[in-house]
Amino acid sequence: MIKKILQFSKLIKSGDWFVIILFCILIIISAKTLWNLPQGKYLEIYKNNEILAIYSLNQQISKTINGIKGKTEIIINNGRVRFSSSPCSKKYCIHQGWISKTNQTIICIPNKISISIVGTKKTYDSINY
Amino acid sequence: MTLSTINITNRDHQIAKLSAIAVALSLIEFFFPSPIPGVKPGIANIIILYTIFKFDLNMGIWVSLIRVFVTSIILGSFLSPTFFLSLSGSLFSLIFLIAFRNLDRQNFSLISFSLIAALAHIFGQFIIVRIWIIPHNGVFYLLPIFLVSAFIFGLVNALVTNKLLKLNSKK
Amino acid sequence: MRLNNLLIYFLISFLISCSDNKIYKQENYIFGTIIGIKIYGESKINAEKVSNKIFDEFQRLHELLHPWEKSIITDINNAISKSKSISINNNEIISILRSAKYFETQTQSLFNPSIGKLIDLWGFHSNDLNRDKIPNQNKIQKLILSKPSMQSIKIKDEILTSNNKNVQIDLGGYAKGYALDQAKKILVKNNVKNALINIGGNILALGKNGEKAWRVGIQNPRKPNVIATIDLEPGWSIGTSGDYQRYIIIDDKRYSHLINPNTGFPENRTQSATILIPPSKNSGIKSDVFSKPLFIAKTKNKINIAKSLNINYFLIIMNDNSIFISKSMNDKIKWEENIDKKNITIF
Repeated sequence: MIKKILQFSKLIKSGDWFVIILFCILIIISAKTLWNLPQGKYLEIYKNNEILAIYSLNQQISKTINGIKGKTEIIINNGRVRFSSSPCSKKYCIHQGWISKTNQTIICIPNKISISIVGTKKTYDSINY
Repeated sequence: MTLSTINITNRDHQIAKLSAIAVALSLIEFFFPSPIPGVKPGIANIIILYTIFKFDLNMGIWVSLIRVFVTSIILGSFLSPTFFLSLSGSLFSLIFLIAFRNLDRQNFSLISFSLIAALAHIFGQFIIVRIWIIPHNGVFYLLPIFLVSAFIFGLVNALVTNKLLKLNSKK
Repeated sequence: MRLNNLLIYFLISFLISCSDNKIYKQENYIFGTIIGIKIYGESKINAEKVSNKIFDEFQRLHELLHPWEKSIITDINNAISKSKSISINNNEIISILRSAKYFETQTQSLFNPSIGKLIDLWGFHSNDLNRDKIPNQNKIQKLILSKPSMQSIKIKDEILTSNNKNVQIDLGGYAKGYALDQAKKILVKNNVKNALINIGGNILALGKNGEKAWRVGIQNPRKPNVIATIDLEPGWSIGTSGDYQRYIIIDDKRYSHLINPNTGFPENRTQSATILIPPSKNSGIKSDVFSKPLFIAKTKNKINIAKSLNINYFLIIMNDNSIFISKSMNDKIKWEENIDKKNITIF
């Protein structure tokens, strides 16, 4: 192993590093675009009409948000998120289940809380729903 | 009628010997199972790199192409999709190596050439796969994996080739 | 040295593409739904000023036209239910009512803003939708037999009368469109050339998003993602009637807020009906109103109604997931999902 590293360091030249780094960048870019890695995605939480918080989707946590009707709880679980409890009566937001793709959105109108997944590229400017 | 004779030179002998070793390595590799289909160390490429650096690019081209054809004939896969994959990969590698042949040897060692050749090889194979074998974009999902393996084996092969070159230059 | 220059070049172009801050964005909850305003190419101060004007206007309309909380409309409805006449000193209301009446005729009563009693019966006159039983069949029958219609409303010298006590005005299928047209007026008056207004899914595009057209996503009726995207040319609007925003579930069946005036029951064969309306003075209203007949009409009549209303761009998703789409719409739309082409019929 050490011998290999010694060989490597004797052999390698400055231009090689350039090629190596370019290659690595290529790998990262291809993985990011082709795999839609969760690292690129964040969750935006809106309360009323303002953005309240941004969380990386790449974790396992639950968050409680105080809306006008009461407390809403959301769970982020490694790339996906859902409403787990909400003070609204119909619980539509909870029934939507997990969302994980960029631009997916769940809105709880009674409590005026909405969550939206943001990636690096938005494919449209608004949703006709 | 004049009889034309084919003069077999030393160079031809070299090419034949190197090609034979390259084919042998290809066959060995064929019988070694790989955990992920399509991910191979490409050890025959060591010979080709060796040829290019010990002798010249021209000889490397010969060895590479002979390797592709002979291996596929022996394995019975001549003109099959596997053959075209191998051919395409090798052709693209060679094209890139020719294009970059003027790279300054002071600043770029054979590591760069090996990496460039490995990248081109993957690229050439992916084109055939996308156009012919799996004609929809789902195949690009595998690209990052192949890129990583090309990177790793490109480096490893470069080191092995280097060792071979050193050993043989001491003779 | 050459490498250095290359790096600098990349860095600069990267930074330039990141700093596209020319869009002003604001959202609010009015009309019981989310309103989104995007303005392109204006200073933040100006965009904020105009955006606030629009939100104020929406709030005003929300209070003016509310179907069940105290408003001029509820006052009128009260009077009608008591067979009394009422004096309306409001030109705006009078022209809205006349306009609604006109559109009811145009859509062969499939858009019927006078069936407020039915809508109330099904529990949709509330912010909480928790009805869990089908309303009394007799009550429904009584209401549809009395055939409530805007035709029964007469306005003369600002005095409104109706000879049908079962008429109750509910402008739910009209107000958002009207608000869109009002927003357009405010934008034009304030010289804002490029904006996108979204009122609960009803969208109007003014100008462009920089060099590109405003791009809108069409909601998948059953999943929280977008089924297709479409570029709205300047001045165009898009509207959808769908069963997935306001609905109740009774015995595992979905009953949406879009009630068929002929049957008295929510229409359940259709999941959504989306239309595109070209620029005109009341294109906002049309984008709201005209999606109703396409949603409610019998399957075999949907296409005819679209033709009679001059709707060239429509997309209808039925309950069995089959899709009816006009050729123009099909050419313009970009599917975001893998749609089984067998399910699509192009007209």
